[in-house]
Amino acid sequence: MTRGLWDREMVALVLLAAVMPMALAWLWYGGSAALVRLLLTLLLSGFWHLVFMLVRAQPPSFAGALTALAVAMLAPPDLSLFQLVLGISFGSVMAELVMGGWGRNVLNPATVTLAFLGFGFPAAPWADLPLPVAWAAIPAALIAMVAGVIPARTVLAATLVGGLAHWAGLPVGPVLPAAGIVLVLLVADPVASASTRLGGWLNGVLYGALMVLFAVQWQLAAPLQMAVSAALLISLVAPLLDEIAIATWLARRKRRHG
Amino acid sequence: MMFDRFFSAGLRLPAVAMAAPGKCPVVLTEEAAITADRNEELRVEPLVDEEALVAQGQPLLRLRADPTIALVSPMAGRVARIELAPGRRLLRLVLFREGDDRHEYAHAPLDETALRALMQGAGLWRNLRSRPFGRMPASGERPAAIFVMATDTRPGAPDPQLALTGGEDDFAAGLEALQKLTAGQIWLCEGKVSDLPVPVGVRRILCGALHPQGLPGIQIHRHHPARIDAPVWDIHAEDVAGLGSFLATGLVPDTRLVSVTGAGLREPRLLRCQPGADLRGLVHGVLRPGPHRLLSGAALDGQQAHWLAPRDRQVTVLPGATGADHRHWFGAALRRAARPMPVIPTAALEQALGGDIPAHALIRALGSGDPESAIRLGALSLLEEDLALADYVTGAVPRVSGQLRTVLDLIATEEAAP
Repeated sequence: MTRGLWDREMVALVLLAAVMPMALAWLWYGGSAALVRLLLTLLLSGFWHLVFMLVRAQPPSFAGALTALAVAMLAPPDLSLFQLVLGISFGSVMAELVMGGWGRNVLNPATVTLAFLGFGFPAAPWADLPLPVAWAAIPAALIAMVAGVIPARTVLAATLVGGLAHWAGLPVGPVLPAAGIVLVLLVADPVASASTRLGGWLNGVLYGALMVLFAVQWQLAAPLQMAVSAALLISLVAPLLDEIAIATWLARRKRRHG
Repeated sequence: MMFDRFFSAGLRLPAVAMAAPGKCPVVLTEEAAITADRNEELRVEPLVDEEALVAQGQPLLRLRADPTIALVSPMAGRVARIELAPGRRLLRLVLFREGDDRHEYAHAPLDETALRALMQGAGLWRNLRSRPFGRMPASGERPAAIFVMATDTRPGAPDPQLALTGGEDDFAAGLEALQKLTAGQIWLCEGKVSDLPVPVGVRRILCGALHPQGLPGIQIHRHHPARIDAPVWDIHAEDVAGLGSFLATGLVPDTRLVSVTGAGLREPRLLRCQPGADLRGLVHGVLRPGPHRLLSGAALDGQQAHWLAPRDRQVTVLPGATGADHRHWFGAALRRAARPMPVIPTAALEQALGGDIPAHALIRALGSGDPESAIRLGALSLLEEDLALADYVTGAVPRVSGQLRTVLDLIATEEAAP
């Protein structure tokens, strides 16, 4: 009869608040160019949400702003306006809005947008984010983890794998900042990542392992390119990881209860 | 086991002001009623006429499908009216208090058949609830296990251990009687280590202190999942003590411990009242002025009601007007036109289901009305009250607990079909 906090829009707002340290650090170093870009992505994302609200009566979501922010931060900076418009439209419409809006999507719309832009226009060089943005990812992750809006196990598992690889002497140092930013912005999205316990751990471990593999084996790729590719692959396997987790949970219960 | 309480999954909810567990006054309201529980369909045959004078514990109604099961009078009084819906479905049987006669049943050492017949005839069968589906068990049903709930973590719930004070021997006798009803295990769920005497063969579980660990559904799901061919019963510890005292004296217990809480009250109350009491009688004199809503049950899973529901031990009074909704037409249009808002998997949602159940997978299965996945994930052990916390936390529209009921009803129809 009474209602609690965590409906969809509250989760989206808390996520937005959590990534504020990163957004502010990025804006601080990016200056007016970054601001204009962010306004453009916000406008586009908002436009498509508005279209789907009017045409399909689908309530708009603050998660659109989250997508816009991630795209503005991570997309290759040299893209033309047309390319950016095309990419965001494809990502937010095909990956999120046609599925029924945020919460029903399978893939993170920002991941899809970035993959689309990265693979579609390979001539544009990937962004090289300033290091403080990567440092700002740590408080962002902590805020979101404490509020419970991103799966803490995914972040912990990925950090653990990255740390282990670094400790083992693998050359992962250069990709760590980009990997951290993408982990917080794209991989640990509560909707598109695995929602079960074991699935969440596997999700983080796999992302970490892929990043290590790319860092070691993928010559000539920008760190952000590696991270976005890993994020795309991981969000494709996330449902499978959930299935694995549920299957082991069921097997354990069957053994216990017959 | 010792640290279980500290690491138990669950949510810390806003504190509810509770009355001090001192002396609990007996408050018998002037009116009381026998009603059907939520989603319960009772096709009945009245055994008395309107205006008849009846004793407390006297059988007043009989189930048409299962004539050995009777519903008894919660207090001595006069039958005011018997309201039946088409198909002789019970709406309510209202009584006015009058006199203080108590109906006494013959009680002798019993074998299982006689015990069942006695419990069914004296209305004590109604205290049992069978899962899957959460109905009163059929007269011949044999459970695979019985869960006795000596803990309740719902905000504002009275402590069952308090209700057992002074009735420990009756409680042990009640447990022994329950053991006759099943060849399976009896589980006693407690919130803290207690020195309640229990007969040999009863397994004690120490449940976590956070809601929802003290709900029978969560414990049944964890320790002994219900199946369609292996139903699991649950019963409140106070009712077990009542069964024990009934077997000793032949008198149906006349009161239960009920807590009255909520922001619409000047002070919370803890009292003993008859089953089916008139909620207005229970809050009389302690209400704050202004509009309010009277719920039978906790703030999480309660429903607006006139009478205390058969299984409830809580009354919640919420301030505020009833129903009328003054939101903007555009927001209302969006809310109604679109498909319901999806539930986002968060840590809060996972904790709201006790941490063990793959919460989001279950909610997705319920939302898409997929009985097979729901059964796989253990929906047969759960009832509406077990998902009430998830509803509260996520503010889901439509309510997840309602979706669970729809899926359970679907499973029940499919099972009933030849």
